[in-house]
Amino acid sequence: MSKYLSLSLQEIHELLKNKKITPKDLVMECFDNIEKSNLNAFINVYKDYALSEASKLEELEVDDDLLFGIPIAIKDNIMVKDMKCTCASKMLDNFVSIYDAGCIDEIKRHHMIIVGKTNMDEFAMGSTSETSYYGAPHNPWNYDKVSGGSSGGSAVAVSSGIIPLALGSDTGGSVRQPSSFTGIVGMKPTYGRVSRYGLVAFASSLDQVGVMSRNVYENALLLKAISKEDKRDLTSFETNDDITCLINKPLTNFKVAIPKYFISDIVDKEIRDKILEIKTMLETNHVTVDFVDIKYIDKTAILYQIIAMGEASSNLARFDGIKYGYSYLNPKDLEDLYKKTRRYGFGSEVKRRIMVGSYLLSGENAKIYYNKALQIRDDLSKEFQKVFDNYNLIIGPTTARCAYNLNTNLDDPLKSFMDDILVMHANMGGFPSLSMPVGFNSEHLPIGLQIIGNRMDEKTIYQLASFIEKEIKDDFSEVRNGI
Amino acid sequence: MLTKEEVLHVAHLARIEVTDEEIEKYQKDLKILLDEVDKIRSIEDFDDDKMFSPTDNQYDLKRESVIVDKEQILSNVPKKMGNFVEVPVMINE
Repeated sequence: MSKYLSLSLQEIHELLKNKKITPKDLVMECFDNIEKSNLNAFINVYKDYALSEASKLEELEVDDDLLFGIPIAIKDNIMVKDMKCTCASKMLDNFVSIYDAGCIDEIKRHHMIIVGKTNMDEFAMGSTSETSYYGAPHNPWNYDKVSGGSSGGSAVAVSSGIIPLALGSDTGGSVRQPSSFTGIVGMKPTYGRVSRYGLVAFASSLDQVGVMSRNVYENALLLKAISKEDKRDLTSFETNDDITCLINKPLTNFKVAIPKYFISDIVDKEIRDKILEIKTMLETNHVTVDFVDIKYIDKTAILYQIIAMGEASSNLARFDGIKYGYSYLNPKDLEDLYKKTRRYGFGSEVKRRIMVGSYLLSGENAKIYYNKALQIRDDLSKEFQKVFDNYNLIIGPTTARCAYNLNTNLDDPLKSFMDDILVMHANMGGFPSLSMPVGFNSEHLPIGLQIIGNRMDEKTIYQLASFIEKEIKDDFSEVRNGI
Repeated sequence: MLTKEEVLHVAHLARIEVTDEEIEKYQKDLKILLDEVDKIRSIEDFDDDKMFSPTDNQYDLKRESVIVDKEQILSNVPKKMGNFVEVPVMINE
């Protein structure tokens, strides 16, 4: 079997340009991988569509765009016209998108080939992808371990070598946490860099489309491709900066902060030790690394719960059994239609969050909880800003522990929030944040390093990440050959 | 534990039907979540500024209109009559 997809994007591009291979070869290899995989990474795949797109590309001259003809997987909460968009929920099991999301417009403009929609937690609510109506994906490093979530299917598809690139979404860590659990690079960009038009809303002030890849450079390339102001998302902004421009550039006068909370005893010792190893390595390379205190950093889970559940309860009110999606048959009246549709259409994690969110926003509670959370959110964001006044970047672990066994504490309502305890801050302040693999624990499961930057400063994150990537000797590609 | 009535109240706000068995589970689960978020009361805030959204770009409220074909919109409607969305009867005869 050919193994073109395991080559770098530059190598694939050379082969395409010199007509040694065609986009169709890449699509065929990708579907071969999908058929051999038992990791449940995809909810729906579109082979005929992908082959027909590949044929169309054969009539075009291969341009200088490294993304030309490259297959990509899309999380199943991002609209792709004429493909199902289930959000891994029974509620949308039969829903077919009638338009392309803003980021999908850009994917298509770059002549990438969409092969399918990836598995995830239902409506992106969870940290292991186990709340999916279609069953959980499996971690390629160990079949019995969780993939992380909510973008677990995208993470598994990239880490197992099915496909080089995938899109996910990140509301409280949903791109970075599964990237960390599966040993790949995942970036949640600055809030507003990528259009949210066509991303099914979970918590609108936190949601952002993110990119997942095998290495730092390809991550930056994909993010650059989908960054665009979109008049259909009023929070998006114009970006002309070249976020790849500092990759592999030397770290001169570079200062990095590690919040003490990020290496406190809430984090597994093996992970803490790995982060301290990185610190030493950076210092050896003349980077200043200081421990810092950040006020409110340990309170973020509470803010996240209030803001995310509140906004989710409002956003998911649209699922009423009338306009689209699952609809309960033979209701007594309209109220009965709403209540039974939502009872049978949503899974338990989603229902729990909608119920708490509805309560938090009802009457006077909105002031006590939601408004107060927005106040502390502003304070927290200012505290981070103060750190960025003195340091280029903030680093720490992505997760407090590595991937754990499937079916662990499924009933614990706080589990998913605790899993994301180190990654929510970036969503609160709209800061860009990347996770990259930096080593393994004693069970040979990947450990992720998180790098948080100031708003719009993805390029400095990629600068440090590309430096660390070169210094790390571990091989994170070994599971890619296991398909 | 929340009372049964409190769970039913919250479920009504969310427009989600709950069974008797579920009520018992929600009495425990919702209590855990509500106790957690209640901790916000004890956090001292710095000033009255609120962050509604992380972007501080000036919103251009002149929205570009999105025109979607009627047939496409209706393609995902669970129940329809001709070109109309069908809803349960709301007014008694």
